[in-house]
Amino acid sequence: MSSPWKRWLPTLIVLAIFLSPLLLINPKTYITITISGLAMGMLLFLVSSGFSLIFGFLSVLNLAHGALFAWGAYIGFTSFTLINQWTGWGGSNSIFLNIIIFLLALIVAGLLVALLGIITERLVIRPVYGSHLFQIFITVGAMIVMEELIRIVWGPNDEVMPVPINFMGSWDFFDVVVSRYPLIAIIIGLVLYLVILTILRKTKIGTIVRAGVENPEMVQVMGHNIYRYFTGVFAAGSALAAIGGGMWATFVKSIHPAMGGEVIVFALIVAIIGGLGSMTGSVVGALMVGLSYNYVAYLVPKAALGITMLLLVIILSIRPTGLFPEGT
Amino acid sequence: MNPVQHFRLGENEARFRSPSFFFRILLLAFFVFTPFMFRSFEVLDVVLKIIIFSALVASYDVILGYTGIVSLGHVLYFGIGSYFVGIFMGKFGWTSYGHLALAFLIAIVISGILSVLIGLFSLRIRAIFFAMVTLAFMEFTFILSSQLRSITGGDDGISFKLPGILAIDFSYGKFLGVDFTGRLISYYLILILSLILFLLMLRFVHSPVGRVLQSIRDNEQRSIALGYRTYLFQVIASSFASCVAAVAGGCFAIWVRYVSPDSSLSVPIMLDVLLMVIVGGMGTLYGGIFGAAFLMVTRAFLPKLQVLIASLLPGVPFAVRLSERWLFYFGLLFIIIVYFFPKGIVGTAQEILSRKKVEEK
Repeated sequence: MSSPWKRWLPTLIVLAIFLSPLLLINPKTYITITISGLAMGMLLFLVSSGFSLIFGFLSVLNLAHGALFAWGAYIGFTSFTLINQWTGWGGSNSIFLNIIIFLLALIVAGLLVALLGIITERLVIRPVYGSHLFQIFITVGAMIVMEELIRIVWGPNDEVMPVPINFMGSWDFFDVVVSRYPLIAIIIGLVLYLVILTILRKTKIGTIVRAGVENPEMVQVMGHNIYRYFTGVFAAGSALAAIGGGMWATFVKSIHPAMGGEVIVFALIVAIIGGLGSMTGSVVGALMVGLSYNYVAYLVPKAALGITMLLLVIILSIRPTGLFPEGT
Repeated sequence: MNPVQHFRLGENEARFRSPSFFFRILLLAFFVFTPFMFRSFEVLDVVLKIIIFSALVASYDVILGYTGIVSLGHVLYFGIGSYFVGIFMGKFGWTSYGHLALAFLIAIVISGILSVLIGLFSLRIRAIFFAMVTLAFMEFTFILSSQLRSITGGDDGISFKLPGILAIDFSYGKFLGVDFTGRLISYYLILILSLILFLLMLRFVHSPVGRVLQSIRDNEQRSIALGYRTYLFQVIASSFASCVAAVAGGCFAIWVRYVSPDSSLSVPIMLDVLLMVIVGGMGTLYGGIFGAAFLMVTRAFLPKLQVLIASLLPGVPFAVRLSERWLFYFGLLFIIIVYFFPKGIVGTAQEILSRKKVEEK
């Protein structure tokens, strides 16, 4: 009797959080806030899914993830500016061209940061597999180095992130104000979630990765070179962080070298809430954090971060290993 | 006689004859006579920060090197210590010795309770969760301290005056040619407090509880099999270290007479502590002194080095930019040390010494 109930418990919790602010906020504002909450959740999902997958598969606590995120934002910024100088699509009136240039910038950021991730994994992390203590030190070192490299390459000051012209402003659906960019972010996030899920569920690589999350030695015994998959997963996680970085930068319209450090804490909380190594957990955790943060920020602005910590404490005391088991 | 007692006996016999004993006395004498040897305030400032950070790093070492769990939010308790002194002296204006002691006491109690709570609900699962949860809590407290303007003064922080003989304008007169001002008295007060903390920590790691902690670090499964509830011991270690860190934080506030989120509660300080602990060597306690000395001295000389580089390579803006980013080299240092000297200064020295001893025998 208890098992189906337990299975639906996370969904029920999410729905309860989702609907309870209706008592305090009028419905139209509620929809606006919900959409920006969902957008924030989707962006958090992009960051924390990579973090969570890397932890689940490689069992590396990758503290350099925030720096990869910031690199993604900066490369997205540069490539957007360059492509825009070349084609002028960012200022074009057609939303189609706007989306194309935005996606192009994200893809460039994702690819380059995946390369950076491969270099980091090969050079820095590979020698310390198996020792959590040294992994933490070495990823902290990598984080500092990468963050300082941003300061050396792009300079230490804040930059204004260029936004495609049609992404600004909002649409009006029956008197409900819906900002454009959050809606686009939600769609891109959902598509990426489905792509990751399909890869993990339907392909051979996905099967091996999911098996590796459960038991890496066994995968090795079956004759797969697990280190190659380690590098691949690290690169994929870095690319996800970079895409998240580029989208986040467009969301807040500015970038600065230390931006990764602020987001990594959210990603950490999301990954712990959802269960380390679980994609579904990441998306549920990210939406929970994003929505509750936005509702509370509207009602009691000062308590917004507090609600995130409260969520972490509550979930850790109910389900110490997170909402979803590893590998789902 | 069991092996532990035998080991203790040997330790006690060698205690006052070993060269490291004289080295320790020499180190203490150096800290005591620093104000008489160097007259400049900069040197005194660097030496005092070395003292405070040695205590802080040693307390972190109790968690990291002796218990083997990773906390990324240890500076949180350091911040609690400084903020209580700052709020009591500056915000409430209670400048008296009693209130100073009370601030320390409350900071210790609150740090203890908080770390027990954090430990209870995060150490239960996996030691790695502890690292993440402590980091999240530190970030949370950092943001809290910069937002609660009415209590903590926000990003501007609080500057305050200290009571009686610790006040900046107090002067006792000359002693051996040195002005005995409030600054110097606070220096000695902090030195004594840090010494007490250090001795307490030495006692703690050599106590039976400390031995259990080391056994957990070396082989947790076996400690469980021997019947120890390991996670309770880990909570004890973490709360003890937090209380020590709170006192160190209070000392820091006494010295700089100012608290702000950036100066006593931020992630960069945590990174400093991490670097100090691996430069000095994990699981040695004394490593903290060397790690802190290395980092503080480098940091004090870096601006001069930058001027030198800028004058040597004029017209190469990239080189100047590279030299400005000294944190970059600290990051590289992290990686290099983990590769080549995972035991740090003191750990490597101990290894060489013990190898020599074996050869002599």
